[in-house]
Amino acid sequence: MTPDDQLALYARARFARAFEAAVARARDAGEVPGVVHLNGGQELVELGVFHQLDGARDRVTGSHRSHGLALAAGIAPAIVAAEIMGRTGSLSGGLGGTQHLVPAGGLFMGSNGIVGGQVPLAAGAAFAARSKGNGGIAVAFFGEGAAQQGGVMETMNLAIVLGLPLLFVCVNNGWAQSTGADASAGAPLASRARAFGMHAESVDGGDLGAVDAATRHLVSQIRTNGQPAFLEAHVSRVGGHYHGEDQGYRKDGKLTDPLDRLRATLVEAGVTAANLHRIEEEAEARARAAFEEAALEPMDDPSTLALWARDLGGLT
Amino acid sequence: MKQMTIPQAVAEALHQVMAADPAVFLIGEDLAMGGVFGAAKGLKERFGPARVVDTPISETSFLGLGIGAAMSGMKPVVEIMFCDFLGVCFDQLMNQAAKMRFLSGGTVSLPLVIRTTMGAGDGSGAMHSQSNYGLAASVAGLRVACPSNSADAAGLLKTALEGPDPVVIFEHKGLFDVETPADPELPPVPFGKARTLRQGADVTLVAIAAMVPVALAAADHLAKRGIGVEVIDPVTINPLDREAILASVAKTGRFAVLDEGAAFAGVADALVSLVVREAFRSLKAAPAAITPPHTPVPYAPALEAAWLPDAARVEAAILKMMEDV
Ligand SMILES: Cc1ncc(C[n+]2csc(CCOP(=O)(O)OP(=O)(O)O)c2C)c(N)n1
Repeated sequence: MTPDDQLALYARARFARAFEAAVARARDAGEVPGVVHLNGGQELVELGVFHQLDGARDRVTGSHRSHGLALAAGIAPAIVAAEIMGRTGSLSGGLGGTQHLVPAGGLFMGSNGIVGGQVPLAAGAAFAARSKGNGGIAVAFFGEGAAQQGGVMETMNLAIVLGLPLLFVCVNNGWAQSTGADASAGAPLASRARAFGMHAESVDGGDLGAVDAATRHLVSQIRTNGQPAFLEAHVSRVGGHYHGEDQGYRKDGKLTDPLDRLRATLVEAGVTAANLHRIEEEAEARARAAFEEAALEPMDDPSTLALWARDLGGLT
Repeated sequence: MKQMTIPQAVAEALHQVMAADPAVFLIGEDLAMGGVFGAAKGLKERFGPARVVDTPISETSFLGLGIGAAMSGMKPVVEIMFCDFLGVCFDQLMNQAAKMRFLSGGTVSLPLVIRTTMGAGDGSGAMHSQSNYGLAASVAGLRVACPSNSADAAGLLKTALEGPDPVVIFEHKGLFDVETPADPELPPVPFGKARTLRQGADVTLVAIAAMVPVALAAADHLAKRGIGVEVIDPVTINPLDREAILASVAKTGRFAVLDEGAAFAGVADALVSLVVREAFRSLKAAPAAITPPHTPVPYAPALEAAWLPDAARVEAAILKMMEDV
């Protein structure tokens, strides 16, 4: 990654963080209907992977914690904000919401309310790319908690057996709700992936250089050999499992924020404080603007439900 | 009597049964913190990790473990955090748990309880808000309970652990903040015994779980207009207290069911079918099935509120029935 790329990625990461802060404020203000899972701590992994992707042919699925993926895929922030607030002018018009961001098409396929549910779907996208022969790949983002689902392990095997161009990105933030990663998996996840028969790497997800090197290499390898690969990225969950959670169970000490770490690297590389400050202010302002714009959208009229009921085969 | 919420009563019942019977154990996700809704509070501290088993997010395997343990002399209480997640482990539910006693010719017992939560109303969206007890009830071999208050939630759990069949208890999240009176002993509550919560001469209204308070509110309003609504809480869906329902319909001649479950091929349809088949000659009006529309649960508050049946919808349905002479 060039220094310019790094700076651009920092700006996007700051925006993602500011966006999530705005989600949290909207939730506190009663403008978000239910629980929201924020992505603080895993921005560099998400953006590092997206840096390697091609919007015209690749596809990505994500977990319940996927606001950042929708933004990284280039969906307008006000549209994502409106979706999270349950308003019109959004992806679904108020049907889906934070855990069910389902765009009509494009790089991001959707987030998921069922832990692990998104992983087999990525195999489908990889299969479609292979069938079309367009050199596209699919990426499944999921947590180390989700890695314990049968469906996820089946998909790892299926991808090997069928030879699917699929990158498994396991974002290991140390926690599955209140369950520590040690209590989730009996063996390191990368070695498990190797036992399934795929190439696997493990990186520090707070180290942009390492993330960039690994994703660059893995994505190009998948595009070349058409075989699945596995990336485990260790990150820290900056906030609660969901916004506002009482994390009484949590004993990990003070965390290093990957964004602060990247900032320090940039300062060292000669980026001026004024420049960084401007980027940070801009991120904040754009996030606020997205939510202000979304808040102007009305909620949909409930008559939409009757139309859907008829569409889906309801009898009344 | 003590005022308790459903999670408090369930936790207390679990304390009691685990202290009394070493065969009982609890298994599921995030139990050490007391369960995400507090229904496992204090259990891990008291009974330790061998009897309060925290699992990875692997519903298929830990439900299956519960089934196998039940077939091997244990009394498992398996917690599936939200009933939406039953989709992940549906083979274990529909084939493994449901069919083993039958396939053994009745020689194998499964004193297995699956506790799960259900219900819309808190903005959780389509995959954390379903009330799919009808799906479970359609599987022969499963018993299904839908408590509407804390005493029933605790008492049904106790009864379920003594029976030969796997039981799924669906607890409604929308009731979790409500305190209802319960005998501190939390006595067992029988399966297949409905509760008539209010007498009335004109209409029989069966309401399930969180729909019970909605039904009672509607009955209150209708009483002011001179219409007597008999409100019945079936407590369990399988076994179903068909006698109580049919006896009431024989008296009132009108039947409505209020059910947050499926609009199509669900419990509401099953009850209407029962009443039409068994009490056809008593009916003075077409029965009414009051359910949400046949869609997944929508996310936006305005849509979710419109999706959930409310007292006004119940009143309108019953008023229409009263005109239908
Ligand atoms: C099948 C299923 N089981 C349980 C849950 C409840 N749940 C939601 S997120 C979560 C933890 C997920 O952990 P992980 O996969 O590591 O992702 P993270 O939340 O850390 O991003 C749990 C248990 C669910 N949504 N779906």
